[in-house]
Amino acid sequence: MGTGRNASTNMRLLLIEDDPEAARFILKGLRESGYSVEHAADGRDGLFRATESRFDAIITDRMLPHMDGLAIVQLLRQQGCETPVLVLSALGNVDDRVRGLRAGGDDYLTKPFAFLELLARVEALLRRKSGPPATTTLKVADLELDLLGRRARRAGREIDLTSKEFTLLEFLVRRAGQVVTRTMLLEGVWDLQFDPQTNLIDVHISRLRQAVDRGFDRALIHTVRGAGYVVRDDGA
Amino acid sequence: MAPEDRQPFSNSFRTSAFRLAIAYCLLFTVSVSVLLGAIYLITRSVLANEVDNVILIELDALADEYDREGQAGIGAELTRLRDAWGRAGAIYLLVDPQLQKRAGNLSSWPFAGVPKERWLEFDIEALRDGRMVRDPVRARVVEFPDGYRLLVGTEVSERRQFQERFRAATLWAIGSTALLGALLGLWLSTRLVARVRAISSACQQIVGGDFARRLPVTGLRDEFDSVAVAVNHVLTRLDQQTATVRATFDSAAHDLRGPLFRLRGRLEELQGFASLDAEARGSVDHALKDIDSLQRTLTILLQIAQAESGTALAESARIDLGELVQEISELYAPAAHAQGLDLACDTQVAWVNGHRQLLTQLLANLIENAVTYAGRGALIRLTVRAGEDGARLEVADNGVGIPIEDRERALRPFVRLSRSASAGSGLGLSLVVAIVRLHEAHLQLEDNAPGLRVVVQFHAARPEIALQARAVPPEAAPHVNATV
Repeated sequence: MGTGRNASTNMRLLLIEDDPEAARFILKGLRESGYSVEHAADGRDGLFRATESRFDAIITDRMLPHMDGLAIVQLLRQQGCETPVLVLSALGNVDDRVRGLRAGGDDYLTKPFAFLELLARVEALLRRKSGPPATTTLKVADLELDLLGRRARRAGREIDLTSKEFTLLEFLVRRAGQVVTRTMLLEGVWDLQFDPQTNLIDVHISRLRQAVDRGFDRALIHTVRGAGYVVRDDGA
Repeated sequence: MAPEDRQPFSNSFRTSAFRLAIAYCLLFTVSVSVLLGAIYLITRSVLANEVDNVILIELDALADEYDREGQAGIGAELTRLRDAWGRAGAIYLLVDPQLQKRAGNLSSWPFAGVPKERWLEFDIEALRDGRMVRDPVRARVVEFPDGYRLLVGTEVSERRQFQERFRAATLWAIGSTALLGALLGLWLSTRLVARVRAISSACQQIVGGDFARRLPVTGLRDEFDSVAVAVNHVLTRLDQQTATVRATFDSAAHDLRGPLFRLRGRLEELQGFASLDAEARGSVDHALKDIDSLQRTLTILLQIAQAESGTALAESARIDLGELVQEISELYAPAAHAQGLDLACDTQVAWVNGHRQLLTQLLANLIENAVTYAGRGALIRLTVRAGEDGARLEVADNGVGIPIEDRERALRPFVRLSRSASAGSGLGLSLVVAIVRLHEAHLQLEDNAPGLRVVVQFHAARPEIALQARAVPPEAAPHVNATV
């Protein structure tokens, strides 16, 4: 996919999806991105596989033959299984996401979605699983974030940021090297679930870019076409 | 719905139960008065008859005596009568044709001349308890053939006392009837208010999204219970229907989103083919954009349907509308600026009960609408004010505005006003209307002179009950301190 993401060859995923066409498309994309993926075509088989062997993340559809996707998540959580789960849904309720997360899902994605959106979210789940170390400063190349004082410096020089811009930058830097989509930013930085008509996020990013990258040879904030943004040090 | 509709029965005196009790109390008091009045009149006439009878009998006896003994005998007889019969309050007077006293216990003829009436009433002065008092007398006069006249009467001050006592007793009776009635009415209405309040608070919770809640049934099997049972039955039916509606949304959405997703997948695969020429690649990109807009329209339609059906209220929560508006304003400000508009935001803390995601959508639609229609150079002003009757949201621009005749049309689905051929599905304001209705809020399109001002008036969030009970007028507190 040419997004320069990290090698993920050792990661094992489980996809529970009954729609063969959708499954084919998702499996193909994930395998091309270097994951090894198992596929279960119904809920019972999915739950069986999820309990039989260890996966690094599970992607499950909601409406499945024999068993609802949320029921699978609930059963897994009851058994003490902590594997991150991404729930896919073609259902129509505005509250489905809330219910999905409440049932123990870690993230929720409504169909139809771009494959890169799915990929970015799976990577975020896998990264979250390893867990970022508790720290008060974040660093990418010569960009430094002081989380306590909420101040950013680049090459030792203070960057003037609003509170929201700092939160946005922190969100990106915490996921350095990882593609972050526009909806992930809306959810993570603004805590909003909706689909704006206009390119709201792009304008925020371009302002942030002005503050962080202007006047430096090496850009840290990159646009990933068709997906979102990534903070990455390309120079080294 | 006016805001005051939500706080019924703040006062027991304003309930229909109390009014009914007062009406009954009045009716009862009036009938007690009529009854006592009738008893009074009858008793008085019986007493009066008795007095008259005694006078008539005595008068007859004395007239016979006069016929037999003449006037000399009657003087002695009058004295004897008084001593023998000892009738209380007896009055006798025998006068000659010149109306001069000949015998009796009255000092003089009490009238000027000879009255024509057969029954006479006059006052006499008597010494009682060392005081001169005037006592009423009822009397009858008989004239003898020799021109002498005999007056026989009874002093009826007791009748007056009876009147006074009876009147006092009547007033007491009426007063206590009224008081008892009022107390009973108050008790009854307090009881009824408590029942009604329990039902109305349950209703509010149900309307607020607690669909599993039912009206309280006390087991007294009274009319309230039968209403509650009937309403609960309806609620259960509605619950089932809501579940059906939800299932319908789900399958409709599923059947549309599934194919859309497969279509999208295929197109994304196409994109990956290196052999695709630039023209084909452009077509694929366009097709993907079309899918995005289809998906957006589908989402809006589903949101409208859900907002209209009320199923979305299950996830409602207490939300600070001011903070939400601030957040969304910050989100939109740079984009608006990039399009040559200014976005200003002035908010207060204002709690509402609402669905966060749908309220976000409502704000987004209003702002996007303003950005699209107000045009370059316009200022969009977002205001949130917390008033006594709830939160007031204003989204105002100084752009072209909507003419009055078009305002109602603008709120209908799929309507685009002429100047806006460009963006949007034409569903934005319909979704706004549906979300407003879901929140029982009130939407108004006003003239911002120039421009459009959209005003949404929300109910205040239901306060916690403990807070409501402790609410004390602020000016009351210092007084307490001052008197200690």
